Amino acid sequence: MKKNRLDHIQRLLNQKAAATLNRRDFLYGLGASLGTVAFSSMLSNPALAKGTNNGPLAPRQPMLPAKAKACIFLMMEGGPSHIDTFDPKPKLHELHMQKFTRQGENFSAMSSGNRYYVESPFKTRKVGQSGVDMSEHFVHLADVADDICFYRGAQAESVNHPTAMYHINTGNKFGGEPGIGAWVTYGLGTENENLPAFIVLPEVAYPQGGASNWSNGFLPAYYQGTPLRSVGSPILDIQPPPGVSRYHQRESLDLLSTFNEAHAKRHSAHDDLAARMESYELAFRMQMEVPDIIEIEQEDEKTKELYGVGEETTDAFGRKCLLARRLIEQGVRFVQIYSGGWDSHDYLARAHGSLIRSVDKPIAGLIKDLKRRGMLDETLIVWCGEFGRSPDNGVREGGVAYGRDHNPNAMAMWFAGGGVKAGHTIGATDEIGESAVDVVHPLQDVHVTLLRLLGLDDNKLTYFHGGRYKQLSQIGGKVIDELFA
Amino acid sequence: MLQRFSTLSIYGYLATVSFLMFLVSSCQNQEKLTEEEAELLFAHEVYPLLQEKCFACHGDKPDEIEGDFNIHTLESALAGGESGRTALAPGSAEKSLIYEAITWENPEFEMPPKENDRLTGEQITLVKQWIDAGAPWPEDERRTYLVENTEWTYSDGIKVKTSPALSATWQNRRYKPEDLWGFQPVQDYKVPEDYLTESEHPVDAFIQRKLEEHNIELAPLADKQTLVRRATFDLTGLPPTPEEVEMFVNDNSPDAYEKLIERLLASPRYGERWGRHWLDVVRYADTDGYSNDFERPNAWRYRDYVIRSFNEDKPYNQFIREQIAGDEINPADPEMLVAVGYLRMGPWEHTGMSVAAETRQLFLDDVTNSVGETFIAIPLRCASCHDHKFDPIPTRDYYRIQASFAPVQFADREASYLPSENKEGFKTGKARLERLIDEAEQVQKAIYEKEEAAARRWMAQRGLNYVPRNERRKLPDDQKPPRYIGLSDQDLGYRKVLQKRLQVLRHQLGRYEPLAYSVYNGPVVDNPRSGRAMTIPDSINSETQSTFILTGGSVYATDEEVTPGVLSAIRTFTEELESPIQDSIPDTRDGRRLALANWLSSAENPLTTRSIVNRIWQYHFGQGIAGNASNFGVMGKKPTHPELLDWLTNYFIDHDWSFKEMHRLIMTSDTYRRSSTHPEAKDVNVIDPNNHYLAYFSPRRLTAEELRDAMLAVSGELNTQMGGLPIKPEINREVAMQPRHIMGSIAPAYQPSRTPEERNRRTIYSYHYRGLPNPMLEVFNQPNSDLSCEQRIASTVTPQVFTLFNGQDSYNRALAMAQRLNEERSDLKSQIERAMELAWNRPAEAKEVKASADFVAKMVEYHEENEPIDPKYPVKIERTMFEEMTGEEFSYTERLDVYENYVADVAPSEVSPETRALADLCRVLFNANEFVYVY
Repeated sequence: MKKNRLDHIQRLLNQKAAATLNRRDFLYGLGASLGTVAFSSMLSNPALAKGTNNGPLAPRQPMLPAKAKACIFLMMEGGPSHIDTFDPKPKLHELHMQKFTRQGENFSAMSSGNRYYVESPFKTRKVGQSGVDMSEHFVHLADVADDICFYRGAQAESVNHPTAMYHINTGNKFGGEPGIGAWVTYGLGTENENLPAFIVLPEVAYPQGGASNWSNGFLPAYYQGTPLRSVGSPILDIQPPPGVSRYHQRESLDLLSTFNEAHAKRHSAHDDLAARMESYELAFRMQMEVPDIIEIEQEDEKTKELYGVGEETTDAFGRKCLLARRLIEQGVRFVQIYSGGWDSHDYLARAHGSLIRSVDKPIAGLIKDLKRRGMLDETLIVWCGEFGRSPDNGVREGGVAYGRDHNPNAMAMWFAGGGVKAGHTIGATDEIGESAVDVVHPLQDVHVTLLRLLGLDDNKLTYFHGGRYKQLSQIGGKVIDELFA
Repeated sequence: MLQRFSTLSIYGYLATVSFLMFLVSSCQNQEKLTEEEAELLFAHEVYPLLQEKCFACHGDKPDEIEGDFNIHTLESALAGGESGRTALAPGSAEKSLIYEAITWENPEFEMPPKENDRLTGEQITLVKQWIDAGAPWPEDERRTYLVENTEWTYSDGIKVKTSPALSATWQNRRYKPEDLWGFQPVQDYKVPEDYLTESEHPVDAFIQRKLEEHNIELAPLADKQTLVRRATFDLTGLPPTPEEVEMFVNDNSPDAYEKLIERLLASPRYGERWGRHWLDVVRYADTDGYSNDFERPNAWRYRDYVIRSFNEDKPYNQFIREQIAGDEINPADPEMLVAVGYLRMGPWEHTGMSVAAETRQLFLDDVTNSVGETFIAIPLRCASCHDHKFDPIPTRDYYRIQASFAPVQFADREASYLPSENKEGFKTGKARLERLIDEAEQVQKAIYEKEEAAARRWMAQRGLNYVPRNERRKLPDDQKPPRYIGLSDQDLGYRKVLQKRLQVLRHQLGRYEPLAYSVYNGPVVDNPRSGRAMTIPDSINSETQSTFILTGGSVYATDEEVTPGVLSAIRTFTEELESPIQDSIPDTRDGRRLALANWLSSAENPLTTRSIVNRIWQYHFGQGIAGNASNFGVMGKKPTHPELLDWLTNYFIDHDWSFKEMHRLIMTSDTYRRSSTHPEAKDVNVIDPNNHYLAYFSPRRLTAEELRDAMLAVSGELNTQMGGLPIKPEINREVAMQPRHIMGSIAPAYQPSRTPEERNRRTIYSYHYRGLPNPMLEVFNQPNSDLSCEQRIASTVTPQVFTLFNGQDSYNRALAMAQRLNEERSDLKSQIERAMELAWNRPAEAKEVKASADFVAKMVEYHEENEPIDPKYPVKIERTMFEEMTGEEFSYTERLDVYENYVADVAPSEVSPETRALADLCRVLFNANEFVYVY
């Protein structure tokens, strides 16, 4: 008797737990770790067979109200110096070349030896109505200064490139986890299923840590970042081998579907088959659409000029920024653009100078272009590196080097577009730029904030893997309210 | 109201209160708990819950109170927060915002906000009971008194005795026994005789019982053609040949199937297939990962050790001991030194940019977690910062297990080759590397001399004596020339590239030394560096790294020191057994790991034994009896057939921990031999959508490796040579040439192995870069090697189409297959029939032959009119790099020496239009679902 009652209560409790779980499971497919699960309803859904939205990439309502619907993440790999871009430190002019001792626990080989302060080789001025600080080499970005929210309070953790890159890109220092873009597309789906939802525009050379920086990690493969390569085939093997024509291709596909249809009849209960058949047709459509979308020559001259396309210093990055706009316009959810080489341990003036010039006009062009098309409000733009740089430097090869080492305690970062507090500088670093001191937040809070700006709640955007609900911030974090308009 | 509490007397008579009764009564007729009962409920259950789930944001830090709501005291809880709504309405949970929040029914108020912290249905009910009963909240003193002086049980939750936890609340927490199924001793269940089927197979009886319970009809048995393909892929990862299919189909002897299994188990291909499963779990790769992705020149010997172990049917308990403690078992046995390389399988790097203590701790955390995941199906990392949120694993246990690895240091140890190890390619490979090193050194020397010539001039002009570069570093600035004098930006950049190239090449020379990627016991090595061989120091002093509990997992926050140990909860569960599990680990430097290995591989360790049996089952059926092969904890999926799992586990132990015995047992069951097509599929899907009860056999997609290997097998190109240095198949050329940043330079281009024989080896022997996955394999869900993979996934994404339909690799296989068909059959019809027998393992149907013949005819026309375009192989590549020092771009030419006398696959222009047309057909066959899925 007692045992029966116990069972009864246990059942009631379980039902309750199940009921509260189901709603969310249904919405976000928690625990659907196998691709087959997500596809299990495909056969019965005629809409999907036509390639319209209903699969794991179907567009979803944001969890919370938000302005931004898409994100362009400008990743300056190597660690741009906050001191020489948007966070000037006049004090360093006084201290220049004086001896400096690095303190604290995070000693790497880099921070040992003779060290000395290094002043910025650049002049800084106040720009825009809001009078924000900008290094002299940002000529065009000054035009849109009032559209940008500068943030000086962010702190990374790692002093080492690959771990710091993984941290900013995936929330986890050790790699193997989903990139931000993967989480965002997992949460919001995509508006255009004929294109990948999360696109990466890397440098010709992949960053340290490689493709793990835009991996889907433990999320299903639909959410993986797809690099659109600037040289060669934009998507691997999107075109058939040389000598294979479209006719050839179509005939082969037709024969293939004859075989597959007959096969599917013999295995009518096997849901995966339809999904796989559909993927061939989708591939054929993508094969035709992608080359068209990435063909930026279709843009008018004025637009190209706006991005610096065709100018030697800005052409490469300008093309990527322009392509990013085209992709967002086509419904791509998340675009990450890389600019590499910001690791200026030496020759700071030359290296940072030319890098700034290479991205200045393209980024300004992107903001202006989005704005005039009425897209800026719906697009979130993020600019940052994996960490900032130190106010001091060490001796290199026996001589004084005018550069800066890595610095996780302070970094350069800004946001523009949907929902951000444009024309403001939030937070502050100390007088030499060694460490953030006001509105200080770890990267996990930056991640939570970024998701929030896109209408996603980090605590709810979870995926059950390895025994726990995983989230971008790893352990949760705080929204940085000061960054919101 | 507050007064009411103070008037309560202390009721010492309440020695035992069964909370069960409260729940029962209240659920039946909404009868509220008495105040006394509710007070006890608060003290024992609700308050600890608030403490664990709410206080951190709502009270612990007075300056940072979220939502302006403090739940530390009754007064503050009653006061509510910024929402203005009643947070706590004593007597009515429904009117209390707290209750609404914990149910997560209102998206605006979901507390605690994290999925992981969410209250269970049971916990929610407890809070409701308490509020409905008036939310009594005794003062701290009284609360403590109640906790200490009343016995408390509710539901059937059990306490688990573990080593001391960080928090007392944790220590007292209760578990549902069924959640701890994995920790409990393996039971001696009997085969349910009543359910024995015609097969009289014990496995079928267990399965049948569940099916009957759920009223599910069985699918018929699969036909022989299906079965031979299924079993062959399952045990060897390759398709059967048409001859093997025929032999089995025509063998009418009663033991035809048993003979088939024996033949497959005896095949060396078996170890290559099942070894791959193990390599997934341990994260095997040939490189370090991270920024340099340096090679592990001898890692392949571990890969071959694994394959050998499977082929020899090494008892699993021995396999465990060798990998955890091989060097302690017998350091004179090369095999043991290779085996223990397991401990170093994770990604690892230490450079001038990393902090030594952090890198060391990363290794210790990695190996601790890995041992948990791999051998006992309990990922341990969660317990590194706090007592485990769900499992009975205090943080102390985590560090006690870690202490067994505190003496472990990395070394590439001398270990002579076994006769069976494949040393092919050593001589030519070594000669090639030496040549490349010599070339790079020449160029490097030229740049050095240019700099020194300028330095000489500079010093001469100032009347100074020439001092070579290394010696003049310390001179004052006015007595030495500026850095890099006489060098152009180009020289400066290239100089660094060469430096890196030489480092990479010299390190790779280690491939040809009889070294094991291994470990030894010793004091911490000060500054181990990636990218160079690590030797055992000549003298090892007796120091051993101490192990501390690290607060928040931070290496800088050492707390109490701990001694080596194991999961303390396991002992608790085995204490009632005749022979409780032995779990003491010595704290001497040597012998810790052997003791740990003995504990892991003890027949009494229910996690280890169940976990491997479950893995075996999972690889046969596509899903484990317990659904998370690497997580048997509270959060892992529970077993669908717990009794079967235990029965199989006992069988496994009784049969000397033999994998092959398990295969024999499982594969001879009717459950394994069921058809994948169920006549009542729709009905079965309603009751059992995921086929947990195995009424039919779940089809599966080939894994990435099987797909490539099967194409090679079918095209006739597969080279079945075993073991040795990793080979490099052709991969997408754009990816191969894609520059990859390694610290300060660009990694050398990926060049495939020179000859088709080398390239066409099985995929398990291909070079596994962490930083450069083979795109064709990656897209078919080959896991990355940074995280352990408990089970392959098989998602369907469009890039798979690009790779398999457009990619050069599958086209080359198709062309080779067409040539094979030409050689083996003379007319188109027989060629088509043969092609389908090869690719699909069944006879072709007439209409398929007709459709194919029509297609080939059309394609012949096409090819007759269109000249083929052969792939071209570059012998050099221009590299452009951004030099971080100068901020300028510079270029250099990388020579691709392998392509200089490359033996390419057959090119389209070398064959007739008819053969090319036939290849088009073969490519379609490779892409067909029938090729890609196993039924």
